[in-house]
Amino acid sequence: MKKLFCLLLALCMVLSLAACGGSASSGSSAPAADSGEEAPASAASGDTLKIGVISPNTGNLAAYGTGIHTGAELAVEEINAAGGILGQQVELVELDDRADPTECLNAFNNLVSQGIGLIIGSATSGATSAITGPANEEEVVIIAPTATADSITTEDDYIFRVCYADSAQGAIAAAYAKTAGFDKVGIVYCAGDVYSSGLKDSFSAACAEQGIEVVATESSAALTTTEYTNQFTAMVNAGVDFVYAPYYYDVIGPYVIPQARAAGYDGVIMGADGYDTTPDYVREADAPAFNNIYWTNHYFAGDTSEKVTSFVAAYKDKFGSEPSAFGATGYDSVYVYKAAIEAAGSADPAAVRDALADTSTVYECVSGTFSFDVSGTPVKGAPVITFKDNGDGTIGMELVDVVEASDLA
Amino acid sequence: MSTFIQTVIVGLRLGSVYALIALGYTMVYGIIRLINFAHGDFIMVGGYTIIFTVPLVLALGLPAWAAVLAAVAVCALVGMGTEIIAYRPVRKKGTNMSALITAIAMSLFLENLAQAIPAIGPNPKVADQIFTAGGFKIGSVTFEYTTVITIVISAVIMIVLYMFTQKTRLGRAMRCVSEDKSAATLMGINVNHTIILTFAIGSALAAVAALMYMAQYPRIYTTLGSDLGIKAFVSAVLGGIGIIPGAVLGGFVVGLFESFTTSYISSSLADAVVFLILIVVLLLKPAGIMGKNVGEKV
Amino acid sequence: MKNNKTARSYLVNTLVIAAAFILFQVLTGLFGSEGDFKLVLVPSLWQCCYLILLAASLNLVLGFLGQLSLGHCGFMAIGAYTAALISLACERAGVFTDKAGLVYILIIFGCIIAAGLLAAVTGLLVGIPALRLKGDYLAIITLGFGMIIVNVINNLPFCGQDGLSQGSAAASLYKTGLGFGSKAKVTYLWIALVVTILCLTLMFMFVRSKYGRAIRAIKDDEIAASASGINVSSYKVLTFTYSAFFAGVAGALYACANSSLSTSSFAFTNAGILNSTFVVVMVVLGGMGSLTGSIVAAVIMFFVNYQIANGSWVAALPPFLNGVFKYPMLVYAVVLVIVIIFRPRGIFGTYEFSLTRLPEDVKKARARRAAAKAERKEAVSHG
Repeated sequence: MKKLFCLLLALCMVLSLAACGGSASSGSSAPAADSGEEAPASAASGDTLKIGVISPNTGNLAAYGTGIHTGAELAVEEINAAGGILGQQVELVELDDRADPTECLNAFNNLVSQGIGLIIGSATSGATSAITGPANEEEVVIIAPTATADSITTEDDYIFRVCYADSAQGAIAAAYAKTAGFDKVGIVYCAGDVYSSGLKDSFSAACAEQGIEVVATESSAALTTTEYTNQFTAMVNAGVDFVYAPYYYDVIGPYVIPQARAAGYDGVIMGADGYDTTPDYVREADAPAFNNIYWTNHYFAGDTSEKVTSFVAAYKDKFGSEPSAFGATGYDSVYVYKAAIEAAGSADPAAVRDALADTSTVYECVSGTFSFDVSGTPVKGAPVITFKDNGDGTIGMELVDVVEASDLA
Repeated sequence: MSTFIQTVIVGLRLGSVYALIALGYTMVYGIIRLINFAHGDFIMVGGYTIIFTVPLVLALGLPAWAAVLAAVAVCALVGMGTEIIAYRPVRKKGTNMSALITAIAMSLFLENLAQAIPAIGPNPKVADQIFTAGGFKIGSVTFEYTTVITIVISAVIMIVLYMFTQKTRLGRAMRCVSEDKSAATLMGINVNHTIILTFAIGSALAAVAALMYMAQYPRIYTTLGSDLGIKAFVSAVLGGIGIIPGAVLGGFVVGLFESFTTSYISSSLADAVVFLILIVVLLLKPAGIMGKNVGEKV
Repeated sequence: MKNNKTARSYLVNTLVIAAAFILFQVLTGLFGSEGDFKLVLVPSLWQCCYLILLAASLNLVLGFLGQLSLGHCGFMAIGAYTAALISLACERAGVFTDKAGLVYILIIFGCIIAAGLLAAVTGLLVGIPALRLKGDYLAIITLGFGMIIVNVINNLPFCGQDGLSQGSAAASLYKTGLGFGSKAKVTYLWIALVVTILCLTLMFMFVRSKYGRAIRAIKDDEIAASASGINVSSYKVLTFTYSAFFAGVAGALYACANSSLSTSSFAFTNAGILNSTFVVVMVVLGGMGSLTGSIVAAVIMFFVNYQIANGSWVAALPPFLNGVFKYPMLVYAVVLVIVIIFRPRGIFGTYEFSLTRLPEDVKKARARRAAAKAERKEAVSHG
């Protein structure tokens, strides 16, 4: 009797797996069957053109997903109102990946099985890196709105993005430090976060190239850490006047900057696109601390160019709030597809890919005017923005400088 | 030297918050022997209540901290509700472990419910200034009044709770329930009422903790409970769970260790060191620093 | 007589599994390149495989030994990173260049075994101190260990952004040497299935062995068990280590199914399905003490989770329900409380599915139904 049921159990597993898989496929093959027939037909007949959007719409990073898909929706609305792309109306198919690699891959597979060959997604580098390989294999084009890790576009032909890479962002910060005359800098970053530690790596690499010495490096364990005083005391002790602190808005606003100032650090704090929307996360009483802070972003909402002002106005009109950088890159992703499809003359993924791979094409976007490099990352500069205490408990933003792509070479 | 003082102050600042939260854990554990995993989420509930009531309170001309009264009421209701809906039926039927799993389930429930409520949502929120800023200087380092207030409040609550459980009738009833439920019933104590009262007090403490947490670390988000709760729970266990002064001691020990690790060892290993301390203490003295080892009933 | 029965059941089981496996391989051969099969069914099977292993291995500790461990995903993280880094090192050293051939298959199996072993060693190291404590303390200390493991991985320089790099970007490892694409997932699906079946068999044998009986005795009454000559602490540590091994294997399968790893995926809670809390939910719902229950629960919860994120029917629901499905954990939490109140040992309790016993079970169930019917009839006629 001993060990009687072990193999039975295993069998049960196989059967249940098969059953599950069967139902999983039948569950989602229903739409696949519909659109699988429609998609190619529609491409020819001019009904609708489907673009997939994968973004973290629920979970802790929902703000990113909301930005991306609202931006994309606004772009699609405008394009459809103006007659669509190549005479076809555009339709977005939006899926949620909760910023998780596995969920992102599931969503990707689902879109591909529906016959969608053009995808926008996802917000984070961790999730996006799960679909770059498969996208290449399936010959599906991906435009990542905000996945900044360097390795996202380097190895795969079908992956593009509208944001710059971490290395560029780190290099911009280092270049800014150089021009501002700092030759000794410090770094405070989050060791438990991909974004923060990725930027830290690229910034220190760029510093080494520029001949800037990194004299102190401190870190925090996780994004949930609330106390940064000791880290900045160490910066004061090291005698630096420039600290690179790549964190997100919800850590920068309430914690990092007020605590850094309280610890007696009065020098420059520089950050990256994660500082976007920080003013919404600052207590009135902390506002005086927000001086001498610089950061690089994808675009500057206060930009006076016609492209940006009309985008910001349209977004406010539709969603009632100022667009974040995620909104801008989500919006741009759709327009880059539009330009590429029109250049290719068809929405066939391979043709669109070839159009995007043409490095001479210039895209005029909200997040800057750029062309792609060979890997599929835009060659563009970045605005350097500073926070300014308005004196009434609110914080304003000002454009300090635009670091051009040519400055970095 | 100033680094050292700064490190101590940061440790006290963190520790005062942990201590205040740990008091709530220890209170509930001391009476019904249940790790209330949802306690951290009661803090989250209290925090959001404060955020939403502060404008109202200011409009009435009261100081901002008066919002804590609303939070105390809401938290006590949520705590009692949790006890009646989830914990009591499970306690009747299941084992200790089912009660623990129920507590985890309630924690998940509250976190996700908060995210699903549109006014709260998954994005973090930042609280307004609750106490007037300022502090006094030790050398070149500022010691904030908020931290002092938190330490004082923890101490006062610790003493009041201790007196309450030792000296009053209700407190004696609570201790009696924790010793032996059936004997308590025979003595004419209404066990259910006593446990509900325990939850009401424990949750009200969560509201106070939420106030002091937000005064020092003004960001609040829906999963705050699990992040903060784990550290505070470690504090409670470290000091000897169920022992009221132990929770405060544990809180400060954890806060100071975290701060010193950040300053002098490695800033990214602070969490790991806190847990290592816990493990070492539990191995050497399983009942915690102030706990007494009790033989097992057969 | 007894031996005969065992031999017969082995034969039946082996034959049925072999037949099912061959059938499956034939189907794979026929439809291997078809869209839905490749894009939906096979990735789902991969995910089911590691979720099943994860839930079943936790059940050894939670259900059979009766100890609540909240850091199970930490062991999975160790397995995943071990497998990913070894395979990456082999790729960089030029041991394999394309993901095919016998050498590559050997490396995959090597990675899986190494992942399991390293996780088991960690389990042993964690278990020796942790299991001296019980109940609530054990829960919190395993939770702590789960966090420490993640914290330490974050700080290992060679786990950096591109794997084995000098960078300190510790939270993500892109494009591991495993990391199967869609086609490779179809090709190597048999590895996932074989490994899962093998591991489940080992776990099942463990539960049915004298060790399994001993740990169940410990769960029922530790003092009585120790009075009957069972060395409680060594059995606890043994079970914990054994369980960690399979969690490590599950991690290796996870590394195969994903081309990127980040430590946030193995946290105590996160937005996805893969976290220590969720595994506890699976085990409790399925049945504490029923491997069948864990398997069924893992598969069902994967399916539900997948459908909520990807099913087209969700969008068609009325807005209110749609909102609820955005936060599936809300539903799981309620279901969990209800199950614990009404079925404290989980839905399957300690029931195990058995092929040779199936006819008997069916007969019994029929008899029960018939009896119930007769009773009702009688009640009606009396009434």
